[in-house]
Amino acid sequence: MERSGIPTAVITNLVTIAEQVGAPRIVPGRGIPYPSGDPSLSPQAEQAWRRRLVQRALDAVATAVEHPTIFEVDVVERADA
Amino acid sequence: MPALRRIVHQIHSLEIGVSTRYEQHHLVVGRDRAQALFEDPALASVRVHIAAPGDPVRIIAPLDVVEPRSKGPAGGAFPGWMAPVNRKRGGDIHVLRGAAVLAAGFLPRNQEGLIDMSGPAAQLSPFGRTNNIVIEFDRADGASWQEAEIALRRGLLRVAVHLADAAVDAAPDTVEELAPPHRPGTPTGGLPRVGVITNLQTQGAFKDVFVYGRSMAGSLPTLFDPAEIEDGAVVSGQYGHPALRNPTYLHQNHPVIAELRARDGRDLHFAGVVLCPEPVQQGDKELVSTHAAWLCRAAGFDAAIVTKEGAGNADNDLMLKVDALEADDLTAVALYAEMSGADGTGPPLVAGPRRGAIVSTGNYDQRVALPAVERALGGTRLRIADADATAAVEVPTAAILSALSPLGAGRLTCRPDEQLAGLQLGETA
Amino acid sequence: MRIVHYLNQFYAGLGGEETAGIGPRMLDGTVGPGRLLAQLLGDQHQIIATIVCGDNHAASNATAAQELLDLARGAGAELLVAGPAFGSGRYGLACARLVAAADAAGLPALATMHPDNPGITDAGAAPVVAAGATAREMRPTLRRVAAAIAKLATGATLTAQDGRVVKAARIGRLVEQRAAARAVELVLRRLGGDQQSTEVPVGGFDAVEPAAPVDKLASATVALVTEAAVVPAGNPDRLESARATRWLRYPIEGIDALASGEWESVAGGFATTAANADPNRVLPLDAARTLEREGAIGRLHGEFMVTVGNGTPVATARRFGVEWAAELRKAGVQAAILTAT
Repeated sequence: MERSGIPTAVITNLVTIAEQVGAPRIVPGRGIPYPSGDPSLSPQAEQAWRRRLVQRALDAVATAVEHPTIFEVDVVERADA
Repeated sequence: MPALRRIVHQIHSLEIGVSTRYEQHHLVVGRDRAQALFEDPALASVRVHIAAPGDPVRIIAPLDVVEPRSKGPAGGAFPGWMAPVNRKRGGDIHVLRGAAVLAAGFLPRNQEGLIDMSGPAAQLSPFGRTNNIVIEFDRADGASWQEAEIALRRGLLRVAVHLADAAVDAAPDTVEELAPPHRPGTPTGGLPRVGVITNLQTQGAFKDVFVYGRSMAGSLPTLFDPAEIEDGAVVSGQYGHPALRNPTYLHQNHPVIAELRARDGRDLHFAGVVLCPEPVQQGDKELVSTHAAWLCRAAGFDAAIVTKEGAGNADNDLMLKVDALEADDLTAVALYAEMSGADGTGPPLVAGPRRGAIVSTGNYDQRVALPAVERALGGTRLRIADADATAAVEVPTAAILSALSPLGAGRLTCRPDEQLAGLQLGETA
Repeated sequence: MRIVHYLNQFYAGLGGEETAGIGPRMLDGTVGPGRLLAQLLGDQHQIIATIVCGDNHAASNATAAQELLDLARGAGAELLVAGPAFGSGRYGLACARLVAAADAAGLPALATMHPDNPGITDAGAAPVVAAGATAREMRPTLRRVAAAIAKLATGATLTAQDGRVVKAARIGRLVEQRAAARAVELVLRRLGGDQQSTEVPVGGFDAVEPAAPVDKLASATVALVTEAAVVPAGNPDRLESARATRWLRYPIEGIDALASGEWESVAGGFATTAANADPNRVLPLDAARTLEREGAIGRLHGEFMVTVGNGTPVATARRFGVEWAAELRKAGVQAAILTAT
């Protein structure tokens, strides 16, 4: 879709594959089966994280990039926030 | 550490009889005893069958496969399951080479596979050429599948030891001394130090591989004594992707370790074995791979061969390891199965490394035509082909047990074959 | 030979993205690059007409190829040439589908585009002649195409020699040595200095030209798309759980979050329990709505598009990407968020 001029943020846990296939805007998710989820968090914490994730994805589509770029969300916090 | 010797007894034929007995390459399997070794509240009943190479038999839904091995009356094989982990190591391990014990039948999260003992698929599975003792089973009412699966595993291991026990006093066919890997610092005379990294699946119930009876999930990579793998320290509880599965038998007969030993002292120094979990999360995959490369370097490896277990997810771990090794100036070669589609024109890999080199173990999607057979064990219906279990069917190579063996047991590879897109058969270029 | 030439709206001089929605039409004689092609073809062959369609229309209308073919035949075409599409995905797809339809109907046809063009897989049995990556290579591309047309016109089959894009198939074979032995052999060769040997090509990354970023996010329309197979509970339209052959679309106008029980993920290849307990974990509608309400974006697109990534061949996935882009552009969407498993 990028090739057709639609900036696209890819949210995925398999970041290296996304890089390999050349996705220019990558936002790392936390688990393969739940790219925009994190069941290890409490529901409120998970929603808050998801909001930050989508915000980051929006940042990504609004940013000029030259090659596969990873837009990190948070520094790691696994347990209940 | 004391050395290990393999005392090999070659099995040429099998039969079911009243009591277990080994004589001159012929094994009699005592039916009652074998069944009794499976007694467990989780199993209502088991049935013992034989399937020999060349038999017109198809084994449906094969589960784990174990090579009969025993360390004699003192025991010691399969530490963590049949023997305490802290037992006397080394010594002699008796092996019934050419025989295999396996369970077959429905288990949830077992992706249905098959073994044909005759026809074109027989040479695609290592178990199409072994003399197989096949155990069919029924789960007990009220028992969970997990309990049944554990009961099956214990039964298989018990029978494996029991059968090998029958040969303990027989004159061996060969005695194989297994030298330990060379310690780093040992003069190599210019030979490179080559080791192997084996990734083990660690995804929980029905998708786990046990080391000393425990899952490696959450562990960091570790150097491991190959003699312990010979003794059955690595046991499979993983049932996904039949062609890409590494049953216990293939850990006991680890092909890469065997090939490294074959050239040890001549072309290389066998430097050791590293076992790693295959985490499900990207961050953990990266940590494990970085650590594995560091560990190989610390152990003085010049090169490592990397093996996996599973499909696309596991390819990620392969890719990260090869890249990490090469970035650390170690030469890396990985064993990958290709997924180029039924006509072979798709891109072979999704998660390939940037550097290093790859051995292909065949094409997952390539179709194989199987003839009808006379009997089927393990089921009456082949669900993946929606056909009768004995019918002539066409299946992808993916369905044949260990056909694409990521441990390198098979002789399949892929070669590029120039073909004109859409060219009809018979047209000349 | 009487040749009809297919071009997209841009090369036909009818406009750029803004006219990408125009439907099939015919123009007399040669247009744009067709003039150079006609020159290179010499007197033997004539380009009698040029058929044109907008890239978006062609990529999102299943009937476009047939309509274009009918126009060409109506004009008396004896041979059809489509492109060069170079690297443009929607254009490549349109060319490929057109020549596939022509070929199936018995009309000699060839398309021309870069071998990496995602549309190439739709060409069916029709030959595709390799074009350069960009229009900078128009001249050498057309020279090759002219030669290929001349050959095709004689009834001969095009080969790799003619610049035809051939798909190398990788065939599984049994060999002498088992894989473990070959691995040891390969390691020793590499340690000996051989940096080339490998049984499967290594490296070779896709280069995707990134799209320009969205200018004013606060007034932009953004779409959510997914390959995590999110469908209404019960999978009424029967999306496959692996090896997708199609994609689907579902409206989300007025929905603030995906409710558990109303939606499910049918993707094979991983446990869908977490996704089904809260489908926003695979399509972040709740967070997107919140941000829309807060004004972070202008508008969330009223539907999402879905397919399944598990086991789907790369070529199919790329083609879906082209089709989705066409849909989004038609709808005036400026950016997308894709969740991938």
